[in-house]
Amino acid sequence: MAIIDPIITGLSAGWHHIDASTLEMDRHFDADVVIVGTGAGGGTAAEILTEAGLKVIMIEGGSLKSSSHFDMEERHAYPNLYQQAAAMKTADKGIGIFQGRTVGGSTTVNWTTSIRTPEQTLAFWEQEKSVKGLSSQDLLPWFELMEQRLNIEQWQFEPNRNNGALREGCEKLGWDYTVIKRNVKGCWNTGYCGMGCPVNAKQSMLVTTIPAALDKGATLISRAKVIKLEHKGDQVVGLTAQALTEGLMPTSVNITFSAKHYILSAGAVHTPTILMRSNTPDPHKQLGKTFLHPSLLSGGIFAEQINGHSGAPQSIYSDEFVWRDGATGDLGYKLEVAPVHPVLIASKTIGYGVSHAQLMANFNQMQVTIALIRDGFNQQCPGGQVRLTDTSLALDYPLDKGFWDGARRAFLSMAELQFAAGAKKVLPMHDGLAFLNSWSEAKQAINNADLGLLKTIVASAHVMGGCAMGEDKTLSMVDGFGNSHYLENLSVMDGSVFPTSLGANPQLSIYGIVARNATALAQKLTQTG
Amino acid sequence: MKRRTFITGAFAGTAAIALGVNLYSPSITTSSDDIHHRVLFSVLLPVFLDGALPEVPSHRDIAINRTLDAISQSITHLPIEQQQELMELLELLEGRFGLLLLSGSMTPLLMREPQQLIDMLEFWRNNYLDMLTTAYNGLRELIMASYYACPEHWGNLRYVKPTFLVPNAH
Repeated sequence: MAIIDPIITGLSAGWHHIDASTLEMDRHFDADVVIVGTGAGGGTAAEILTEAGLKVIMIEGGSLKSSSHFDMEERHAYPNLYQQAAAMKTADKGIGIFQGRTVGGSTTVNWTTSIRTPEQTLAFWEQEKSVKGLSSQDLLPWFELMEQRLNIEQWQFEPNRNNGALREGCEKLGWDYTVIKRNVKGCWNTGYCGMGCPVNAKQSMLVTTIPAALDKGATLISRAKVIKLEHKGDQVVGLTAQALTEGLMPTSVNITFSAKHYILSAGAVHTPTILMRSNTPDPHKQLGKTFLHPSLLSGGIFAEQINGHSGAPQSIYSDEFVWRDGATGDLGYKLEVAPVHPVLIASKTIGYGVSHAQLMANFNQMQVTIALIRDGFNQQCPGGQVRLTDTSLALDYPLDKGFWDGARRAFLSMAELQFAAGAKKVLPMHDGLAFLNSWSEAKQAINNADLGLLKTIVASAHVMGGCAMGEDKTLSMVDGFGNSHYLENLSVMDGSVFPTSLGANPQLSIYGIVARNATALAQKLTQTG
Repeated sequence: MKRRTFITGAFAGTAAIALGVNLYSPSITTSSDDIHHRVLFSVLLPVFLDGALPEVPSHRDIAINRTLDAISQSITHLPIEQQQELMELLELLEGRFGLLLLSGSMTPLLMREPQQLIDMLEFWRNNYLDMLTTAYNGLRELIMASYYACPEHWGNLRYVKPTFLVPNAH
């Protein structure tokens, strides 16, 4: 079946899009607002500000790819759509990080799970991080607005077997579980959200807010990497980007921008990096404090077909253990599943040779449960720190005893759940544990396992923090509306404003908070003319 | 694999000084490097992919060559720093002194028996030095990802991607 590609249609209709890889000489652009990044934050802000009548330019480091390119193969999706070809890691290589790098950012490649910011997180921010005006009640209209805009609704179909096993395990054990809300419209239930939706059902920024902004005259510049902000006194006076090649390598072509207002929406890690490179004020050393929801994986082998590659990747989650000991108690973890695709599974499992080949031969019988650790709430897992290197950036993210204790509890919960759901064997993804044949065997083996760096597989798909919000300048870089504490015409609108991790998948939190903050900014900018 | 990890670690550093050689030589990959790296990977692939590669010799050769192409492709997608780290490791594995540092033997990998190669990987995998575990993990991920990225290698998985879309239709 042929699918209409809204990007190709829009480009034919005359959208202002510049692929910076085609530029042969330096260029300069003027606008009311320049937005760096086109993910959940940048996309949402672009639509609202353009709608308010402002002249908006969106700058994206990745390429403009759309459904015509999304062929459901990891070998094309990872290099084309992800940061560092999905091979990004923390400095000590302990955590693998999946983050989008394409127009639409991570929303183009995420698994569509949409969860409002948990009340416990908002309360913690208010009490401990000086965040004001962001209670559940304050955010309610913004969540409702964005849920309507992006068609965020509870998944009505039967979960695939991968998610079904999570539900079944929870039911057998009497654990909490929830049917997930997804940002999809006319979903074909195929399971390839992580490689770009091939049928434009996912209501990512790529097919919603960005086209809406372009329809109203905004400009999109892709394959342009923002290097730094120029600032003088309390004002940003310009911004410089470097054109990239088709393969996203640097060129000598510079693109400069002047605007009344500048918004950083480059995502956690890259937003703070731009500020670091620009030497903007950071007197209390708050830039770059990063959270990842570092996640553990557990494979369960079932007698029946699980076919974890097929069907909505995430439709059930369990919050049984996220807040059990309170926000600041022992590390909590959210239980979800991960889709089963060849490269993802081959690289995030353990071993080699015959044992690995046998594991892969069970591909269709494999159920993968993941536990996302809620980081940043106490010293058991305080988070990481971004720093500049000679040529790029690095993320230091130490994993200490507190984390490994939490990881052990998470492995135990996942094994218990998978056996309860009917798994014949369970393999916690830790190099040192073999297939476990019963819950009692698993309990003993996991309790005795020597969990640790490089031996235990840890992954992240949620990069947060780095430019925290709050009213106390000793704890934050921006206020609750995303306005910089130090530069008057600079805002941050992305997941980097979170002062801790969320304990939930981040996209809806970004949509809601940015919708609120971009609306306030639009009012301010249009009133002041 | 942190840049210069292989000469700043205590184990490697001591040996390097004892041998009086400079083991670190950063370089940009050239086509001749690529040929050397293909030889190196062609030795390692049958060990990493034992049980996954086809048993029929001609099919096996095709699968190995396809994976070598995929590895070359995968490397070009890595960030420059990671490429440099990987090249440093490969150069060490291609040199006699580097091999001595990393595996305790100067015998070229090409001349080693499969069990000796397994012993080397197990030595890295279970080593208390992060740099060796990192080397093992880095090669493992690169090889596994490159092999299973190829649709022609999905037979053992009994998996095919959906075919409901008409290519380039719009």
